[in-house]
Amino acid sequence: MIKKGFKLTFIFALLASVLIACSGNKETSGDGKDTGGDNKQVEQVLKIANDQEPAGLDPHKTPAHSSVRIYSQVYSGLVRFDEKMEVVGDLATDWEQPDDKTYIFNLREGVKFHNGREMTAEDVKYSFERIKAEETASHIASYFANVESIEVLGDYQVKFNLGTPDATFLTNLTNSSAAVVAKEVVEENGDLQQVAVGTGPFKFKEWVPDNKVVLEKNEDYYEEGLPKLDEVVYYTMKDEAARMSAIRTGEVDLTTVNPKSASLLKKEKNIDVKDYQSLEYSYVGFNVEKEPLNNQKVRQALSLATNRKAIADVVWNGDAVVSGPVAPSMGDWAIDVTKHELYSNDIEKAKKLLDEAGYPDGFDITITTASTYPDMVDTAQILQQQWKEIGVNAEIKQIEWGEYIDTWLYTSADVLVGRNGSGTDPDRALQYFFHSKGSANVWGFSDAEYDKLVESGETMLDKGKRKEIYNEAQEKLIDQSPNLFLVSPMKYVAVRDSVQGFTPYPHNGEYILEVSKK
Amino acid sequence: MYAYILRRLLMLIPVLFGVSVVIFFTLRIIPGDVAATILGTDATPEALAQLRKDFGLDLPIYEQYLQWMGGVMTGDFGESMRTGKEILPDISSRFAITFELTMLSAFISWIIAIPLGIIAGIKRNSKTDFGVRVVSLLGVSIPNFALATVLILVLALFFSYSPPVGYVGFFEDPITNLQILFLPALVLGTSMAGAVTRMTRSSILEILRLDFIRTIRAKGAKERVVIFQHALRNAMIPILTIIGMQIGVLLGGTVIIEQIFSLPGLGQLVLTGINQRDFTVVQGSVLFIAFVFVMINLIVDILYSYLDPRITYK
Repeated sequence: MIKKGFKLTFIFALLASVLIACSGNKETSGDGKDTGGDNKQVEQVLKIANDQEPAGLDPHKTPAHSSVRIYSQVYSGLVRFDEKMEVVGDLATDWEQPDDKTYIFNLREGVKFHNGREMTAEDVKYSFERIKAEETASHIASYFANVESIEVLGDYQVKFNLGTPDATFLTNLTNSSAAVVAKEVVEENGDLQQVAVGTGPFKFKEWVPDNKVVLEKNEDYYEEGLPKLDEVVYYTMKDEAARMSAIRTGEVDLTTVNPKSASLLKKEKNIDVKDYQSLEYSYVGFNVEKEPLNNQKVRQALSLATNRKAIADVVWNGDAVVSGPVAPSMGDWAIDVTKHELYSNDIEKAKKLLDEAGYPDGFDITITTASTYPDMVDTAQILQQQWKEIGVNAEIKQIEWGEYIDTWLYTSADVLVGRNGSGTDPDRALQYFFHSKGSANVWGFSDAEYDKLVESGETMLDKGKRKEIYNEAQEKLIDQSPNLFLVSPMKYVAVRDSVQGFTPYPHNGEYILEVSKK
Repeated sequence: MYAYILRRLLMLIPVLFGVSVVIFFTLRIIPGDVAATILGTDATPEALAQLRKDFGLDLPIYEQYLQWMGGVMTGDFGESMRTGKEILPDISSRFAITFELTMLSAFISWIIAIPLGIIAGIKRNSKTDFGVRVVSLLGVSIPNFALATVLILVLALFFSYSPPVGYVGFFEDPITNLQILFLPALVLGTSMAGAVTRMTRSSILEILRLDFIRTIRAKGAKERVVIFQHALRNAMIPILTIIGMQIGVLLGGTVIIEQIFSLPGLGQLVLTGINQRDFTVVQGSVLFIAFVFVMINLIVDILYSYLDPRITYK
């Protein structure tokens, strides 16, 4: 009997190897069929490798990047950023401001949701009320806390009444999460995590968990001739090596890659590596309520002992710029920090400051960081070496992401290395993260003067004066150093040369509306 | 025999109960919860409180446990906190993928390991034996994630080949399905094969030394008959034990391999669940995995009595 079994096994093995040998030669791929001939039209399907599984598709409830990149193609908002990061109309054609606290938006007529119903001012009102409602627990509720009421003035006109003048209002509206949704879809499904019915360029087709999300062209999209693609497929591929090999062999058309992979892929002839300066920066957060970090001089000493250029070179392959609390890609809003005294990496001065603070021999400390992100671990290791020069002996503690979030939220680490998105308006980087009552100010940092400054920045509508206020706030923040702001990295997108018309922007790394394939 | 099986099945109850308690409370001891991981830096105290309330995380912990267990008893494993999707259908569709991968890997492992083990056993201390021992030691000691990454890179760089992206089920498109699963199965299969080869070799060696083999040989039986009909069958028991354990472990989700090859299997479900602190998903999956593990062990035990009629269960 066993003999028979053995023979069978052998035949199976042969069969399997033949099968695999055959398939190796064939030009097959998951969904994209080979186009073969020269005169046939190229399938307009863009295949994107998504490094994380989307965490749900509800724009009002899901801040995860793996989700945003998908739902931002399905939904539109009232306004959006153009390539120069100026606010332009999207669902709204134009808007007026009868006074500092009122915005009236005129809506585009004839815009249809993907279920065929026309989008009207009622939908805008419903969407923002949903964002603000406590039971939605929306991550962007705080962006619109200042909106007191929303009035429908007609089918195509809607009025927002604000509590105070708000310079951030329009830029906050450009957020992908400030999407206009359809009430009946929310009511039918409870929320929008599994479904997506918007007014955007692509319609949601299907989501196969841990596998792929498929979007198809919205034929009724309000911009003539767009989008050019018929289908966009996001494949969940968590492993960097797998994404690299898939873009190399053309199994996917587009993927984000880390700096090290980017430099490898630049050598490939069929792949174009595009880069853009991100809106993120890496930082060291201090628990400013605990010794010795409650002493400003100690924090300044650590800032002086930190060589940010070395971090940019080692961690980011040189493709990162030194940053303050507002990332340099925010243009005018960011101050030039490179000449700041605390960025001078003056070891003698750092030692002197430590001495003055009462720690002439340095001290021991633990740097906590997330093992999930190699760049954060590398940063922590470099800091460990750099700080040693002034006698600060750091031990590194790596924790996994869920625990890291918890540690951040409850400030249970003395020193935390991380990365922040500085948002699209300086108010987020300065008020939300560092005002005494800012939700993301977990550091215990509190400075009455600073608070007043950023509050006035929020309500200041004159851009020139607003900039002055924020310049001062940034100086103050660097001087106080509740966090050390390190570097703002480049981001990389690898695309196959068959993809045309793709340009990533800091505020939108995946602008595919005008992309086509050749 | 049936009474034995029934008794073993009844033992499932305390085992699963124990697992449920351990997993439920461990998850709640580790820092972090789903509300905080969803909101990240966008967390405001109000939003956090609202989400925790939505997920029932504001209830006393014993009440949360009773609610969950109540559901499980009636076949309701609940919904994912993160996505709101029902858990049970998700587990079963992912289990199908993990199951196929496991079976393919086991198959690859057997066709490599058992013949090699037998040959090495018969030709003890020969060059062949030495070669097999070195290769199998390599199989055991190379971590499969390293092998997987190297394989992916080498195939892409030197042969411009990478497996198709986007998983397709076997019944949808068997060829593409096998292409997707072949590499991960090969990686898992070779690392399983190392241990099985070594076990086969030593087990054959031991059996070949026994008296009954000498008797059979003395009766003039052909060597082929001696090996395949008598020695191998008797050598199978320890081999089966190790294969059973390997399969049990693989069915619990081959986390790293699934991640590297982007396979939507059970391992990915659990891993994503843990990273996002999606308690209900992790609880449900772990309970399911424990169930599968116990069942595999039961099947192996039953197979023992088939291979060796002296083993009986009462």
